[in-house]
Amino acid sequence: MKSLLDQFTGLRLWPLMVKELLQIGRNRRLVISLVIPPTLMMVIFGFALNPKVSGLRLGIVDMSRSAESRELISAFGESRAFEVKGYYESSERLGAELSKGKLDIGLVIPWDFARKRARRQTADVQILLDAVNTNNAEIAGGYAGLIIRSLNERIAASSPAPVAINPAVAPSSSAIGGSPAQVAPSPSAMGGSPDQLAPSPFPMGQSPGQFTPLPAISANPSGQSPQDTGVPVAIDMTEQKVGHGSIVTRIALLFNPGLVNSWFIVTGTMGILLVNNGSVVSAATMIKEKEVGTIEQLLMTPATATEITIAKIGPLFFLLVCEILLVLLTGYLVFGVPVRGSLFLLIFSGSLCVLAGIGIGITLATFTRSQQQAQLMAFFINPPISMLSGATYPVEGMPEWLRPVTLLNPVRHFSIIARGVMLKGVGIDVLYPNLLALLGISLLLIAISSWRFRKQLG
Amino acid sequence: MRRIIAQCRKELTQILRDRLALSLALLLPLILLYLMGISISLTVKDIAIVVQDLDQTPLSRRYIDAFRSSLTFRVDPWPITEQPWKALEDGTARGALVIPKNFERDLLRGDAVEVQALIDATDANTANLLRGSMSAISGGFMASISPGVALTPIRAETRLWYNPGRDSTKYTGPAVIGLGLMLFPSLLGALAMSREGEQQTILQVYVSSISAREYLFGKILAYFTVATAEWVLSVGAAFLMFGIRLVGDPTPFLVGTAIYLFTTVSFGVMIGAGIPNQAAAIQATQIVGFLASFLLSGFIFPISNIPAWLRWIAALVPARYYIELCRDAFVRGGGWPAVWYAPVMLALLGSFFYIMAWRTMRRMQVNA
Repeated sequence: MKSLLDQFTGLRLWPLMVKELLQIGRNRRLVISLVIPPTLMMVIFGFALNPKVSGLRLGIVDMSRSAESRELISAFGESRAFEVKGYYESSERLGAELSKGKLDIGLVIPWDFARKRARRQTADVQILLDAVNTNNAEIAGGYAGLIIRSLNERIAASSPAPVAINPAVAPSSSAIGGSPAQVAPSPSAMGGSPDQLAPSPFPMGQSPGQFTPLPAISANPSGQSPQDTGVPVAIDMTEQKVGHGSIVTRIALLFNPGLVNSWFIVTGTMGILLVNNGSVVSAATMIKEKEVGTIEQLLMTPATATEITIAKIGPLFFLLVCEILLVLLTGYLVFGVPVRGSLFLLIFSGSLCVLAGIGIGITLATFTRSQQQAQLMAFFINPPISMLSGATYPVEGMPEWLRPVTLLNPVRHFSIIARGVMLKGVGIDVLYPNLLALLGISLLLIAISSWRFRKQLG
Repeated sequence: MRRIIAQCRKELTQILRDRLALSLALLLPLILLYLMGISISLTVKDIAIVVQDLDQTPLSRRYIDAFRSSLTFRVDPWPITEQPWKALEDGTARGALVIPKNFERDLLRGDAVEVQALIDATDANTANLLRGSMSAISGGFMASISPGVALTPIRAETRLWYNPGRDSTKYTGPAVIGLGLMLFPSLLGALAMSREGEQQTILQVYVSSISAREYLFGKILAYFTVATAEWVLSVGAAFLMFGIRLVGDPTPFLVGTAIYLFTTVSFGVMIGAGIPNQAAAIQATQIVGFLASFLLSGFIFPISNIPAWLRWIAALVPARYYIELCRDAFVRGGGWPAVWYAPVMLALLGSFFYIMAWRTMRRMQVNA
């Protein structure tokens, strides 16, 4: 039975495959374009596409010039998110620098800042954000809020019991405190750094009055330390606090706790590379026969259209699947992207993605007459495929009506699967909807392309 | 001069006859402009989060409502029997919030209540945004349930300049104009040049009396005209689609545009002169023109985030300077003092491309 099968199809299909492989092997440019651009693009994408916000240029107008205002400034300065660029006399001068694009964020401390703090009123400060880059502005605003909030917490806490700078005080203070310090994790992690879920003290009780210097910004896991008479916040603040409690949001970052942005980009770029490269390469090989006219010779052989198509797709498919491994290896070696789930599932869905790319390429080749036209068409089809995929920036950033369109995009499903398998470590039980969608899209594209191809042959 | 104009007329006639190329040159930029303008944004709205309310009291519901009323989140309840991270695993939500039992009781009693938030950090940037707004909402909620108290010794009053609505099209919109103008004029220029090389019509040029300089100028002038038409179309479309308007002094923008168009066309001509093969020339423009302009121009991802060893490449990308000019002209309005260097750098790059193209042409002429 098997030998019969061999005789029937193997005889014709095999030589055709060998011919294709030889042809691809001789085409130095094709092989190079299969190996170098993907690796290079992966590396450049991973390094360059980084929306992470750090070192925001901060300009300061300090009209108060007091210990309190310096405390606030040092809180900003100590965070890695901001880099103090300069001090200005007036907010007009600051605004001028902002409009030149020399600053990202401005902090204006009014002249009555220290007075209001002394009177235990709420002291307003102004934060000016260059919102041209909305993402930067949003994150910068978030960081500024975090810094001020944690400073507030510290001021509130420090009036009865400030954060100890010297951990050595801790044992004695916990011995003193009638009510034990309640240690709660603080969500303050500034500078986009890995979330330090370091517990910060949340002193609830009273402690004896002693003098300490200004509290440090870093969350200090020690207990209470003596009262800071230098910071004029009332004790009734604590009573208020006791009256209303407080909410501590303990934030856990799952799957990518270091917030490594390249992990997101690499897992997304894989799909883009497979589809883009698949379409360009297959369009190029298909059109070549047409351009040179050898397609007529192929038609004269006894091989059927199906055989010709399979023989065309097979070797390309094999090469592009090798590319998946190449890209995975690059991601692992250069960026340390893990594969937490099943490698087999990843490669299987990757090959579906390759099939989709080949389908697009062959369809393009049937619509065009020359290499140049096919390249041009690919040039115009690939950017939308890459953009409307959620691979390099979130789908939630797109307008509502556009989001469903992305569901037709193979790259979208593959990037969900890649992130699921590589970062979340989930399996087929969770990812089956995307896998099925990807399967459907790939089969549809291959069907369309072979129908078009056959029509052309006939 | 007469020869330059003749060469230019010949090119224009050729473009007008090639309907496919012409429509690609004028229509596709608009389509891409639109797609990119609306789809590329890192600012997210409406992120699905699930909430597991183990307390089920009026106060806990008010707390959830604080999340529901923010534009950033779309809140769905999550059954108590299920583990909350399941929602993150299968991607139904980007975040999960677990409100503990006795939330209300402990809060009123004055204890610290620990609310647990799980965030899907696969997308590091969105996770960062979520983290910021989650703690901001918690803070706002605390302030709202204990009114009139100076619980906040310092209050930040945030003002968003230039783009108070945080409309991300204001950021991407002007930049897309620059990107489209990098892509298509250089592509057309490269195609026209490499076609002459591929079809050997360049030999006819060699035997004619036209000099390399006149020939190049004629070509560049022709594609400069096409690029200007494209510029008018894209700026008009950006006015209509993204609602952006010129602010401040428009002269740096206009001067910069003229130089930029010369630069992009020269870039294409340089590629085409160097690669006498149309398909390869397209690939080269795609990689250098599109990818470099897309990634290394500060289009969405800030240049300051690119590692130092890659950043010097960004200084050679013309789109980078033009995007800064566009953003200044349409959003910031800083005028000459803010962007004087951009036209200068563009002019330098443009002359470099032109000289490279000219040198290649001269070499070819001697060889032939």
